[in-house]
Amino acid sequence: MKPILLQGHERSITQIKYNREGDLLFTVAKDPIVNVWYSINGERLGTYNGHTGAVWCVDADWDTRHVLTGSADNSCRLWDCETGKQLALVKTNSAVRTCGFDFGGNIIMFSTDKQMGYQCFVSFFDLRDPSQIESDEPYMKIPCNESKITSAVWGPLGEFIIAGHENGELNQFSAKSGELLMNVKEHTKQINDIQTSRDMTMFITASKDNSAKLFDSTTLEHQKSFRTERPVNSAALSPIFDHVVLGGGQEAMDVTTTSTRIGKFEARFFHLGVEEEFGRIKGHFGPINSVAFHPDGKSYSSGGEDGYVRIHYFDPQYFEFEFEA
Amino acid sequence: NDYVKEPGFFSLFLFAELLGDVLKDQPQEADGIDSVIVVDNVPQVGPDRLEKLKNVIHKIFSKFGKITNEFYPEADGKTKGYIFLEYMSPAHAVDAVKNADGYKLDKQHTFRVNLFTDFDKYMTISEEWDIPEKQPFKDLGNLRYWLEDPDCRDQYSVIFESGDRTCIYWNDAKEPVAIEERPRWTETYVRWSPKGTYLATFHQRGIALWGGEKFKQIQRFSHQGVQLIDFSPCERYLVTFSPLMDTQDDPQAIIIWDTLTGQKKRGFHCESSAHWPIFKWSHDGKFFARMTSDTLSIYETPSMGLLDKKSLKINGIKDFSWSPGGNIIAFWVPEDKDIPARVTLMQLPSRQEIRVRNLFNVVDCKLHWQKNGDYLCVKVDRTPKGTQGVVTNFEIFRMREKQVPVDVVEMKESIIAFAWEPNGSKFAVLHGEPPRISISFYHVKNNGKIELIKTFDKQQANTIFWSPQGQFLVLAGLRRNSILCLEVIHRVDNAYWLWTFQGRLLQKNNKDRFCQLLWRPRPPTLLSQDQIKQIKKDLKRYSKIFEQKDRLSQTKASKELVERRRTMMEEFRKYRKMAQELYLEQKNERLELRGGVDTDELDSNVDDWEEETVEFFINEEIITIAEPE
Repeated sequence: MKPILLQGHERSITQIKYNREGDLLFTVAKDPIVNVWYSINGERLGTYNGHTGAVWCVDADWDTRHVLTGSADNSCRLWDCETGKQLALVKTNSAVRTCGFDFGGNIIMFSTDKQMGYQCFVSFFDLRDPSQIESDEPYMKIPCNESKITSAVWGPLGEFIIAGHENGELNQFSAKSGELLMNVKEHTKQINDIQTSRDMTMFITASKDNSAKLFDSTTLEHQKSFRTERPVNSAALSPIFDHVVLGGGQEAMDVTTTSTRIGKFEARFFHLGVEEEFGRIKGHFGPINSVAFHPDGKSYSSGGEDGYVRIHYFDPQYFEFEFEA
Repeated sequence: NDYVKEPGFFSLFLFAELLGDVLKDQPQEADGIDSVIVVDNVPQVGPDRLEKLKNVIHKIFSKFGKITNEFYPEADGKTKGYIFLEYMSPAHAVDAVKNADGYKLDKQHTFRVNLFTDFDKYMTISEEWDIPEKQPFKDLGNLRYWLEDPDCRDQYSVIFESGDRTCIYWNDAKEPVAIEERPRWTETYVRWSPKGTYLATFHQRGIALWGGEKFKQIQRFSHQGVQLIDFSPCERYLVTFSPLMDTQDDPQAIIIWDTLTGQKKRGFHCESSAHWPIFKWSHDGKFFARMTSDTLSIYETPSMGLLDKKSLKINGIKDFSWSPGGNIIAFWVPEDKDIPARVTLMQLPSRQEIRVRNLFNVVDCKLHWQKNGDYLCVKVDRTPKGTQGVVTNFEIFRMREKQVPVDVVEMKESIIAFAWEPNGSKFAVLHGEPPRISISFYHVKNNGKIELIKTFDKQQANTIFWSPQGQFLVLAGLRRNSILCLEVIHRVDNAYWLWTFQGRLLQKNNKDRFCQLLWRPRPPTLLSQDQIKQIKKDLKRYSKIFEQKDRLSQTKASKELVERRRTMMEEFRKYRKMAQELYLEQKNERLELRGGVDTDELDSNVDDWEEETVEFFINEEIITIAEPE
């Protein structure tokens, strides 16, 4: 099936995310536009207007009521998903790099960059207590003195967050006390993206060190590695198969292909168990910055440096594929 | 050792005994005796010819300095046959010894020149002889082990990570098999010896040679700041160059070493290393030669001395080259006033000129030997009288025929590249001006003709590579003709790709910051021509066996792969099972966090579903409505 092309951004895509049920796809980019689309036909629902700089991250709560975005304009904003109205604005001292709702949709966290003399922090606001957001007083702020946080996700039950750092480290911080629960260093360079599996028992990291790695969410035990020859910008786990999709820079060009019409940048599919690549999908005209699986596993989306978002529905062969084992 | 054999020694011995008293009285100052030399094998003449002899001696020996004293001992009315000369300074004496020793006065008289002080030294050698300590036998292992690989795989070296890592691989059909990988094995790059026996690595302090199954260090050569090396074709000698080491008295820029013993054989000056190797070796390693302004110096091994003790004076010599098939040197000299340019073939060691070819209106010449020395091609660029442009001819010398006949092939276009077919009598020429470049193949036939076989035009190439066995040829358009690559050209996507010669891509091997790849050479085959013929005849039979072997190894690989995959899947499934159990245990907490809504499965809340109608974009059509009149 031909992929659906979403053209709603003027600059390179920074993150794309499906809501829990998968009918909506949120996309943000280095322009101030925040878009939401119907994933089934690519029709745009609308935009969330307010940001004045590049938007680095986006998240939707489990019930698709709220949308959270973080931007280089030093703000983290909360939106009403259906109406597009901006519900809250948290001003920060530096760019907001990563953000997310917890499992219950009640607590938001975001990290801010180390910039202009301000160090990296992770801030936690409980939405059930409106005073926190109104007076800009998070109930907890975890400082991050060494390597700044480049990606972060919530744990399965909202008890901790898992943060990836510029130096390749992974840290587990308690969302209640802020204490460091666990620390692991498997990557040698910056962690660009972290995404959990559907059931949140494990997560995949995408790193500048040309690899993606699978970890257990609770123990942070390293399970699998997927090696490529280029930095991996994003990785996502299939909700129905033992597959992972990697998006990143370009492979050493295949000399024999001469087509100039098709974009040559590829999303690469690996099998989780055997760590082997089994497929590639071309299409982007620039490196892929963000990938996401549809919650039903029958399609996936990718956002690229070229500003395009492509929604791919898998062919029957994808569902029949099996390794000899 | 030489002295014991020379007849002159005994007479000198006697003399020194006689002179003993006088010597004792002489003041024991170093200067006095250090400037004296003894010349032996001087003609024994009567008083009538003594004056003449003295003049001759004086002429020869005053070249090295002012002679302050001379003594011609006599006996029975004739000179004894040895003389004493004293110089102004010891340095002159040393010079005289260096340059006049071995001087051939005439057929019967070759001078032996020594420092007088040397006699003292050698006469006072102690009677006690210490037996040299027995060195433990250094077992280097089988240096040719890689030739015995049952799969006949080749080896190659790869340097990557900007020179930090060097690795030697077997060229296995599926993927390279690493044999030995060492960090910072070399400081710049590596070189294989011509027959593949040694791997040479470069270091600030010199060169190291490695070999054998485990690539143990075989030998070290201390040459501070070494930059370039060369091997003799037989691998017996190693030549190293360093710009740092040269001094007036002690030439150390180029050093020739004995590979196996590590001994420094001789040092040479070197003005410029622009055209390395400076010394060109004969095919059997018996001679090596270099060209300097108007001079061709040929040295012989193992003495490392000049052949016949002197260099050849060849005015205007521009280039020379050894035949790969015999000890013949080809060299050419450009036009000189009335004398035309010429190419000369000289046999060594006799120095007999076996062929001279005059050439007219020559601009430039290039010498191309065929691999076995069967033919020499001289590419001659000429500007014919009365014209402006440059025209190229190939003068083909048939080396194996009597009197070396020469045939000429005239080329209409400018030449880009030329290459003989190895082991054959064909050559390939790339000619023309870009973008209209063609390749032509010629056959040097036995009947005296050189036939143009075929021309292919529209070639995008600037270099020719024949397969080492001949028969096949690769044309390449190379951006830079560099064998070694110290500067990293690209920072990313460094790799080397292996292809079959028919163009099928076999492997892509990525290597971060890749610098150099070198195939390990092989020594020439030990098989006779008849044996090779027989094998070619039986090739079909051998092919069957090899194909079967290949198929077996393929299935073995698949079996291993399948086994590995199965194990990995098992492990993963075990892990997932554990994770699932924990997940199920936490169900209640999840329900609580989401206000009782079960979201574990996508279809957990079928009741909550709505029906929606969705529109899909099919087509866009633009219809122009006619303007109302």
